[in-house]
Amino acid sequence: MEKFIDHCCSKCTHTKEESCKDFVVCCVEGPICHEDETCTAKRKKIIDKVKLNEKFVIS
Amino acid sequence: MYEKHLMICGATGCLSSGSQKVADALIEELDKRGIRDKYRLVMGGCPGFCEVGPIIVIYPDEVFYCRLEPKDMIEMVEKHLVGGEIVEKLLYKGPDVEAPARFYDTIPFYAKQRFNVLHNSGIIDPEDIDQYIMRGGYRAFTRSLEMDRLAICEEVKKAGLRGRGGGGFPTGMKWEFSHKAPGTKKYVVCNADEGDPGAFMDRSILEGDPHAILEGMLICAWAIGADEGYIYCRAEYPLAIARLKIAIEQAEEYGLLGKNILGYDFNFKMKIKEGAGAFVCGEETALLASIEGKRGMPRPRPPFPAIAGLFGKPTVLNNVETFANVPLIMKKGGLEEYVKVGTDGSKGTKVFALAGKIRNTGLCEVPMGITVREIIYDVGGGIKGGRDFKAVQAGGPSGGCIPKDLLDLPIDYDSLTKAGAIMGSGGLVVMDDRTCMVDLAHYFLGFTQKESCGKCTPCREGTKRMLEILSRITEGEGKTEDLDTLDSLAFSIKDSALCGLGQTCPNPVLSTIRYFRDEYEEHINDKFCRAGACKKLFNYVIDTENCTGCRACVRVCPVDAIKGEKKEPHEIIQDLCTRCGSCLEKCRQDCIMITRVGREADVSN
Repeated sequence: MEKFIDHCCSKCTHTKEESCKDFVVCCVEGPICHEDETCTAKRKKIIDKVKLNEKFVIS
Repeated sequence: MYEKHLMICGATGCLSSGSQKVADALIEELDKRGIRDKYRLVMGGCPGFCEVGPIIVIYPDEVFYCRLEPKDMIEMVEKHLVGGEIVEKLLYKGPDVEAPARFYDTIPFYAKQRFNVLHNSGIIDPEDIDQYIMRGGYRAFTRSLEMDRLAICEEVKKAGLRGRGGGGFPTGMKWEFSHKAPGTKKYVVCNADEGDPGAFMDRSILEGDPHAILEGMLICAWAIGADEGYIYCRAEYPLAIARLKIAIEQAEEYGLLGKNILGYDFNFKMKIKEGAGAFVCGEETALLASIEGKRGMPRPRPPFPAIAGLFGKPTVLNNVETFANVPLIMKKGGLEEYVKVGTDGSKGTKVFALAGKIRNTGLCEVPMGITVREIIYDVGGGIKGGRDFKAVQAGGPSGGCIPKDLLDLPIDYDSLTKAGAIMGSGGLVVMDDRTCMVDLAHYFLGFTQKESCGKCTPCREGTKRMLEILSRITEGEGKTEDLDTLDSLAFSIKDSALCGLGQTCPNPVLSTIRYFRDEYEEHINDKFCRAGACKKLFNYVIDTENCTGCRACVRVCPVDAIKGEKKEPHEIIQDLCTRCGSCLEKCRQDCIMITRVGREADVSN
């Protein structure tokens, strides 16, 4: 998972054609539809790569 | 993971002062040392302080380096990135700080600013939608999707958001009109045709945070039931257009534009229409005509675009900054925070472009209600060269001047209107005591006259007649009745011109007559321009008592009009002098004086 649009696992079904209503929140706080620490870590990795400091992310 | 993030200002202002060359030199130095992978380099949005560009801000260290040159990159890499030591000589220095300032919080330019609309500018990579989302982006939109559409209009009304493009019309009310207008086809249009001389607020927002505009437009589209949107952006903003295109592509890829957005029964597509630069196309009906492929000319209103706009359909047309405010209001808890800032009649913040004779040129975002004095002296750092403040032109060619006596005027829609100016889109052109107010009025009216589309007679002919009179006055052929004629023509145009631009174009003349009538009278009666701007109405004379004969003026005079031996007082040959002002700028002893034509020196420069 390099970008938020990439699926964290096969449980994520968001596509531009069939988009998930929780997608935006899921990007930073996800996964929303399932629990999986690996999937959470994948999102965190994207954030950690570009965040300037601890105040950077706004939920 | 990166060790540090280097945010290089990649906005037009810094690019024109050489930030790309600085970035290239930085990359070269990092490559030479083989350490480029450790650092993230972003050509981002504008931190606002154009005067001291090019700028690099380093995170997480929070260090603001400015006035950078490519040669500085070797030292910055060596000392800061490798050695962990701050390079003091590259920090901000100025008469307003005792010691070099390290970060935004210690630089006076930023002290009275409040970043709402610009909260992402210079912080995120504008070409990365992920970073916009990390900063809370598109949350306001997802919240809006769960709301009743009319409730969104109501919330925007409660926020007191007024159009930031000039008119100051309540945004929520405009949305409500379109929402209630019959019909299934509706449009949302963003006016990014920023045409005022000296104004670049919208360009900076578009370049620094393009997704904020898309999100504001999406919320509007959902609220009124539109399925198509246009961003009308002047072609002179290539970087803004490029970043908008990227933002639109990314939003489409993420399912935030297109069909059944986020699973809702909501389709919205967005297009960019590039304008050819006609000033009149900033007027809403002319802009819509231009999108339709017609000549950009205004039409009479009503019907207003909210009811019958683009292709005759209900259309909400707001400017860039207005749309950028919307996500701030519509995010969770946003309304409560939003209304805390500003005045009763003007909520929120306003982005201003500071230009002219001010020390800190650049972009600032300040709470509505801040005084002119605070903007000029606290944010702007005062007048360049320590000269006296004379006036500030607010609102561009459609606005008016605010004189020194009104320095404590609060900047909000109503106060500015009472003072004879307008908020406009936010351009503030500052003038010092060397600015001739008649010449200023002549310049701005000349601009609007050239840009007049010619459709209505009052604007087409009226501005031409006014300009002829102003030209005569500045050339020493003014008549005593000219001021009454200007006044009468100005009010006729204001009352009868077809569009807002025509109705407001006499403002610079009216406001300068209102506050600087004595200067007009001096031009007309004494044939004298004390500011030394109207070339036929003054002479330069050398103060022989103070002239040291340094020959600096002789060297710069392009027509050899200055005579005199070294270390002896010099003299200007009036028949040769073209009044270019080169000697005035060069003289270190301040002994070039502005005098009435054919008289002894009596006014100091």
